[in-house]
This record gives sequence, C-alpha cells and structure tokens, in this order.
Amino acid sequence: MKDVASGFIQAFVDATIYAFKAQVGVDVVPGKVIVCDQHNEYSGDISGIISIVGDKVNGSFVISFTEETFLKVMSKMLGEAFTSLTPDILDGASEMTNIIFGKSKVPLNEKGFGIKMALPTVVSGKNHHLSSLCNGPVAVVKFESDLGGFLIKIGLNRL
Amino acid sequence: MFNTKSKVLVVDDMSTMRKIISKILKELEFTDISEAVDGEDAWMKALEANPPFDLIISDWNMPNCSGLDFLKRVRAHDKLKKTPFLLVTAESEQQQVLEAVSSGVDQYIVKPFSKESLKQKLEIAYKRVAKRIGA
Repeated sequence: MKDVASGFIQAFVDATIYAFKAQVGVDVVPGKVIVCDQHNEYSGDISGIISIVGDKVNGSFVISFTEETFLKVMSKMLGEAFTSLTPDILDGASEMTNIIFGKSKVPLNEKGFGIKMALPTVVSGKNHHLSSLCNGPVAVVKFESDLGGFLIKIGLNRL
Repeated sequence: MFNTKSKVLVVDDMSTMRKIISKILKELEFTDISEAVDGEDAWMKALEANPPFDLIISDWNMPNCSGLDFLKRVRAHDKLKKTPFLLVTAESEQQQVLEAVSSGVDQYIVKPFSKESLKQKLEIAYKRVAKRIGA
C-alpha cells in the first residue's frame, strides 16, 4: 500500500506542476508530502474535488486555494482581472481539477490501475475544511508560486 | 488553412474553458462563435442552427450528454454528419483516442493546450474534412 500511495502522490504532483505551467503559465513548486489523518487542519476558500475510482484503488483528489490565490490564478489563466468570485470563474477550480486528474491518470493507468473518467465538483466558502470519505490517511502537498500558495490532497482507501 | 468566417459552436460544461477556447478563436480571427453548456444543449443548437455550424469544438467529459455521445449523434444525422468536429479533453489515454477516432472525430486535443496547438488541430481537421467530402 505504501508504494501504491507514493506512486499515486507523485503522479498528481507531476500533473499539478504540468497543468499550472501549461494552462496558467506559472511555475509551481511542491513542498514535502505531509501524511495526516482525516481531521487535518488544512483548509481553503475554493476547492475542486474529484473521485478516484479504479480497478485496484479508489479515493479522492482535492485542490484547495485561498480566495486571493484563486483570483490571481483565474486572472492569469483567462487574461482578465478578477477581483471577486463569480459563478463564471468558480468552475475554474473544477477545470484545473479535471486537467490534473486526466494528466495523472495516464502514468497510473499504464501501471494497470484502471482509473475511470469522473466529473469534478467545486466547493467554496471561507476557510472550509473537507473531510475525506476515504478510510486511509490523506497526503497533503503544499505548492508555492508567484501567484500564491495552494494545496492538493490525495486520499486513498485502505485495500 | 481554415476559414475564419466559419460559424463555430464551442461546447463545454465549464464556463472557464468556454472562455479560453472562445478567446483563442477570436485571436485566430474567428468572429461567429456560439456556446453550449453540454452535449444536450449543443445538440439542440446544432439542429436549430440555420445556416448550420461549420465547425464544432466540444469537450468530452460533460454531464447529461458527453462530447462523445454528441459526436455520435452528429455523425448519424444526414445534414450534420460532415461537420468538422474537434474533441477537447483532459483524457489522453490511447483507448480514449481510439474510441473518439472510431466514432468519427476529425481531431482530438488534450487539455491543457496552447493557441498554436489548437490552430494546428483546426488546420488538420479542415484538411481531413475537405478530403472526406472531396472538396
């Protein structure tokens, strides 16, 4: 399980770096992987969530932004200045989740995980906390960039 | 080379991605751009369009009616079946590409993409369609 988890986390970290570079045009730098339980303190203002459903493993992937960072990311990505959250840009979190998930699936499915397509959703609310529905630990990776910091969480069920 | 006077339908359930694609199309000097929020909405707009759309750019992974299902409906419709169709997706696995090709897609572009790669895909799609209809 430990090897499976580390392979999973790396695939999502690599995909996050790639997605921000290619879609937003910004370099993002990952911090260390922090493994914690469901009740961790990591929160955000806007989060994109997607279920990981595969032949060999399942879980969830979350990306969480502060409002300030999210507005900067969307402004850069869409080429116009956003100073407040609107429904039109909130789904940008969903789009980034979708792109990262799609990119992560490629190396994972080459290893035979058989992860299926899924639809992401968005949660917004100041300083919200998302409890994972998985029964295993949650890996958290904080990223830094010129647009601000954000974090990703990967939760996997124990097999 | 593609015709920038083409009437284009952009289909994506995410408004941010519709904005990104429409922005690139405008930079490529397309002027007649319509949008649809999923495959079902796109299907209705495609049926109602008069004159019909000259080009469809659709996301794959959408609720209600996916881009692939929308593509299959277009290819099965007598009046719409020759419309150039470009699928946009975050999925780049071989199995998905093969499924799209066998369903009659003209080109396939993986998110994230640049203006240049969309332009290239459009040029290839238009060439394929011209060849297919013997223009």
